[in-house]
Amino acid sequence: MPAVTAAPCTGCAECAGVCPTQAIALAQDGARTDVSLDRGLCVGCNLCVETCPTGTIATDRSTRTATRRREDLVLSNRAITPRPAAPSGGKPFRRSLAVREVSTGDSAADLEVIATTNAVFDVARLGVQFVASPRFADTLLVTGPVGRAMREPLLRCYDAMAEPRLVIAVGTSAITGGLYRGGYAEANGVTDLVPVSSFVPGDPPHPWSIIHGILLGMGRDGG
Amino acid sequence: MTLNLPTGSRYQQTETTPEAMAETVRSQLKKPGWRLGHLTARVLANGRLALEALLLDTATGSGVICSAALPDGVREYPSMTALVPAAHWMERAAGEMFGLRAVGHPRWKTLRLHAPVWVPDLAPLESGASGTPIPCEPYAFMKVKGEGIHEIPVGPIHAGIIEPGHFRFSCMGEIITNLEIRLGYQHRGLERRLAEAPLAQTRFLAESASTDTAAGNALAHAVAVEQMLGVTPPPRAEALRTIALEIERLANHIGDLGALAGDIGYNIGPTLFPPMRGAALALAQTLTGNRRQRWYIVPGGVARDIDDARRGEMIEGLNALHKQVRRHVPLILENPGVLDRMEGCGRLSSALAKDFGMVGPAGRASGGRYDARAAFPHGIYPAGAPVAARYTEGDVLARARVRADEIESSIAIIRALLDDLPVSPARVEIAGVLPPNAAGIGVVEAWRGELIHWITTDETGRIARYAIKDPSLNNWTGLAIAVRGNLIGDFPVCNKSFNLSYCGNDL
Ligand code: SF4
Ligand code: SF4
Repeated sequence: MPAVTAAPCTGCAECAGVCPTQAIALAQDGARTDVSLDRGLCVGCNLCVETCPTGTIATDRSTRTATRRREDLVLSNRAITPRPAAPSGGKPFRRSLAVREVSTGDSAADLEVIATTNAVFDVARLGVQFVASPRFADTLLVTGPVGRAMREPLLRCYDAMAEPRLVIAVGTSAITGGLYRGGYAEANGVTDLVPVSSFVPGDPPHPWSIIHGILLGMGRDGG
Repeated sequence: MTLNLPTGSRYQQTETTPEAMAETVRSQLKKPGWRLGHLTARVLANGRLALEALLLDTATGSGVICSAALPDGVREYPSMTALVPAAHWMERAAGEMFGLRAVGHPRWKTLRLHAPVWVPDLAPLESGASGTPIPCEPYAFMKVKGEGIHEIPVGPIHAGIIEPGHFRFSCMGEIITNLEIRLGYQHRGLERRLAEAPLAQTRFLAESASTDTAAGNALAHAVAVEQMLGVTPPPRAEALRTIALEIERLANHIGDLGALAGDIGYNIGPTLFPPMRGAALALAQTLTGNRRQRWYIVPGGVARDIDDARRGEMIEGLNALHKQVRRHVPLILENPGVLDRMEGCGRLSSALAKDFGMVGPAGRASGGRYDARAAFPHGIYPAGAPVAARYTEGDVLARARVRADEIESSIAIIRALLDDLPVSPARVEIAGVLPPNAAGIGVVEAWRGELIHWITTDETGRIARYAIKDPSLNNWTGLAIAVRGNLIGDFPVCNKSFNLSYCGNDL
């Protein structure tokens, strides 16, 4: 996914111009330009990286892309004021997690979620299993932008889960609606519907990123 | 409403009336090799609505757009489903999206916009059309009556990791007597978005019609746009696009075979096949920089070229994968225990498959010969199209065999192209505006079958209508018919043997 580096930005605004989802915002601060890039909107098309003449926006190959807070998906070249540590998703799930997936319109993300269970990615060795009923589930894992018709089924599934429970938003469209955001179908993602414990950006995210998001939800990965 | 189609174009337009439309379409479809590509509507410059059928000649890779303007304020027209069964889901979709009523349709109900989630008079694509849209009616499932009949509702959320949709089974004991499939849960307003967004954003939206078919959708979009602009992509681009399309087919067919075995409890499927699918996705990653080949195919060519080092890596990976395919596919398809479960299960007759215009592996497993690669230009095709894999039994096994054959042919195509990649640029610049009153039609054999992106511009060159016909729009009915008389317990394996797209239908 694209990342913002310390290389000084000339303020040419090429990156914001090519971005299909308005994920990039520029602000003038005296002589310098602040660049912020919201991975919660980014579909990973790489156009900004290709256009940026200064390397201020560059590719970051890391698959540890998930965050616990929505605002941490916004990358910036502004001097970073340290934020308080994000609250952990909760220790009860440190050793095992039962996950109920709800898909709402991103079949590639579904395939990548399935891939986490195969022998290569093997999420089961971390104590994570996918379950059929929300009654057995600790975690609601959502893919797709949650258009109007999936809102009620999704909320019913959430309500059927015992507390404490987590929600993991997998993929750009699940986080914000991505390309669909703002249309009549109100497919604006899951973030405003239920409290989300971890956000996994990407369209679709790599299976390692999905596992990273699950680990963050469990309160692992240093959490 | 007359379109500006250049002479010598593969597509021509005929104009007719709403009353004569069904007969015009039917008589054209009687000619050998013709099929209904799509049926939808469009808002004309004067604010009226026009019905439009896309009729395709699968022998020559050309077609006819049959247009019929509705009089001002008129919202009804005689349904053509009774004469042309392949139109029945298409008429329902056009009905709710444009506020139309197909009078005499045998099962008139919504396809995507079910009340009460959607307000009954919302017709998202009719804006600008004069007259009041006809409201969608409340959805009622078909009731099967008789002693001992019970209903099993499943979904929208299913037990596994899969897209949402509702299946309503009517069963006698464990035998399915009827299945009604209600989709629409993932309606995202894509077609309207496509007509509103700036052209630079269009390809991103077009590709997202179903994200598991990124190469197929992006290619159908690119073909349609290039056709309108009169652009021919360079030969290297055509080869690279074909490789991407075939990798998508390879990866998904391998995944499907493994999942089919898994659905009958044969563990070789879920154990050996996902890593093989992963090996196919690794080819995609090397080619495009992305396992799912997102944003790779663009109008004018492909987003990035390949160097010899990566090309060599792909050839090596492909050869290793081919060895595994040869070893593992027979474990499923030459195994008496598997054959016992797949043979005769979920049978769809050739006659019904033809009536409903079935496409892709499901169509070719029921005797169909249609493979869009043999007719319509996309990538290196129609030159270099493989011999269509074809079976006539129409059961789960036949659908599995078509996939196994296509895995082999896709590997052969990818290998031949990698071995001898044309030397040319991988992309040409294209104009940023489309011509006025034009139509562009991309027909692609995606891994699920015939996928169509059909663009029509207005008098200023803006996209007035962007219609997408996913292969699943044809094939869902086939699934509903194929499971009749089968055990409810065999539904998962039947369903997987079709493996249709929900979001490609819902848009
Ligand atoms: S990579 Fe992301 S941020 Fe960059 S242009 Fe594409 S969508 Fe926008
Ligand atoms: S980040 Fe790069 S492309 Fe964007 S404004 Fe700065 S220099 Fe220009």
